[in-house]
Amino acid sequence: MSMIDSIMAGLALVGNVEALVSLAIGIVIGVIGGAIPGISATMAVALTLPFTFPMQPINGILLLLGVYKGGIFGGSIPAILIKTPGTPASSATVLDGHPMAAKGEAGRALGMALWASCTADLISNLSLILLAGWLASFALSFGPPEFFALILFSLTIIAGVSGESLLRGALAALLGLLLATIGLDLVYGTNRFTFGHPNLMGGLNFIAVLIGLFAIPEVINMVWHPTGHMGKVQTLGNKWVTFAEYKRCFRSIVRGSFIGVFLGSIPGIGAAPAAFLSYSEARRKSPNKANFGKGEIEGVAASEAGNNGVAGATLIPLLALGVPGDVITAIIIGAFMVHGLQPGPMMFVMNVDIIYGLFIGLIFSSGLLFIVGGLAIRGFKPVADIPKRILMPIVLVLCIYGVFAVNNSIFDVAVMFVMGWVGFVMTRYHIPAAPFLIAFILGPLLEDNFRKSMLMSGGAPDILLRGPITWFFWALTLLAVVAIARGTLDKAREKS
Amino acid sequence: MSKRAIQLQLGIGAFAACLFLILYAIPYWISAPSNIRNIVLSPRFWPYAIAGLTGLVGLGMLFANRKPDEDDAPVNDPIEDPGAGLIRLAGMAVLMAVTFWLLPHIGMVWAAMLAFAALAFLVRTRHPKTALICALVVPLLLYGFFAHVAGVAIPQGDYVRLP
Repeated sequence: MSMIDSIMAGLALVGNVEALVSLAIGIVIGVIGGAIPGISATMAVALTLPFTFPMQPINGILLLLGVYKGGIFGGSIPAILIKTPGTPASSATVLDGHPMAAKGEAGRALGMALWASCTADLISNLSLILLAGWLASFALSFGPPEFFALILFSLTIIAGVSGESLLRGALAALLGLLLATIGLDLVYGTNRFTFGHPNLMGGLNFIAVLIGLFAIPEVINMVWHPTGHMGKVQTLGNKWVTFAEYKRCFRSIVRGSFIGVFLGSIPGIGAAPAAFLSYSEARRKSPNKANFGKGEIEGVAASEAGNNGVAGATLIPLLALGVPGDVITAIIIGAFMVHGLQPGPMMFVMNVDIIYGLFIGLIFSSGLLFIVGGLAIRGFKPVADIPKRILMPIVLVLCIYGVFAVNNSIFDVAVMFVMGWVGFVMTRYHIPAAPFLIAFILGPLLEDNFRKSMLMSGGAPDILLRGPITWFFWALTLLAVVAIARGTLDKAREKS
Repeated sequence: MSKRAIQLQLGIGAFAACLFLILYAIPYWISAPSNIRNIVLSPRFWPYAIAGLTGLVGLGMLFANRKPDEDDAPVNDPIEDPGAGLIRLAGMAVLMAVTFWLLPHIGMVWAAMLAFAALAFLVRTRHPKTALICALVVPLLLYGFFAHVAGVAIPQGDYVRLP
């Protein structure tokens, strides 16, 4: 199929009202989810996932991508108004956004957040379109040893950057890897931790685990501390962002977008580090350096550009290699699987129409985000006023229906409840959930590719270093380990 | 709980989990064929590797925790009455267990309604009437979507069946 044919096939898939409405609804859900502190973009994507089951694959995936993009922007609304980032990615936005809100300029800050988000989103989507196909064609030459090295590299980064403590991140990833071993053995078909229970033979349901890990702990937290969410909402003020201000911040926005694209295309980095790096670069280069942290609009623009620049780029490793770039794309991979699609290089051969459909849909998403985001800024107040003690029971009921609907299995509901308690304990012990979930997804792939490699070589481990691709990923893994170890040692030295 | 206490408990827990996995769980709960020529192909190899790494991470946590931390402040937000909080958590565990048990017996819609109302009561909502209305409406709406749009066979239970 030529490129023109692929684009036409993609257009045929998304050039209809249903696809665009799915995308728009997704963005609305995402903005609302991201804007409500405690819901977060991750939980919004997880809760929306079951609703995509009856939809066409492309519409379902576009809906989730809409939630993702809307959620990342939506997180900036409470970050600016109530100093509570709706998503971790919006943490950097608090630094200058909230001081602006305190000065009565919340509307101006939110406007700039929206403009920066949409610009970064567009740059990120274009980068995805340009890079994913190239990377996928390169990945077609990967065999089990190459995939093993790649997944190992992804795991190393995830464990290192997902929390305040490297060891706790590693512990979370190991727990995820261990839970992923439950079920029948991939090679011999023998039982592993199944206790003879037929429901466990296929392993733990991914959706039950992820909803249990991300949504239920919020419900349990609310039970533990019912008044912990009380906060004060700022007014929007009368000042709005101007085009001249956008022009002044444009360099920081573009720089931040490319930082986001670069960090987003590396599996496991996520949006928060990109936002902080973009913010610090903008601060370093800005003539208004002294005003950063006190309500500088360029600070808001840079952090929002950084975190939104990640949104499209995280799909590069997802679509090209089948490796989720962050925790939200790890959930979106579930949607692909539910619809019988396997992201990775082969998808560019077998389902190229869906790939191009997604690309076209993503381009539309930047424009839709601008419209929906503009309305959301004005309409945030009623959303924020939904009492959290009504919201959490709704979340619980949504989770029960959603998890059951995956496999028509009540057992999965039990798995979700248990994982909810695991997630709650992890929250109390400050163990990050993201490495757990990503290791849970990548665990079977890692083991499968390792054992396939061993079968290919008759047990000789040198196959894991068989060519330049494996050397490249091993070198990256080594570099990542050294960088993480150095960072940890520096932190320890600073403390003492 | 301070950061140091958390690290200590996690370190001990991870090391204990490693020992439990290596000495009991993996040998007894994973079956492996007896004629495997290469140990790396055994179904037990991967879990053993994970268990070993867990032990190392546990030891790493204990080692990193050897120096007393100057900042011994609690890392979690304090709550007014931890005793009442624990009772509510126990209530939540019971709520989940009862919901799970009720799902096949009275059906998902009715079980979800009860779970909604019980949770709203547990978190002491200031809007009991709204909670009650939502407890009735939300499960019915979700039933409508999943049963009639998504075609999911939502459990109906043994008593009142919905169209």
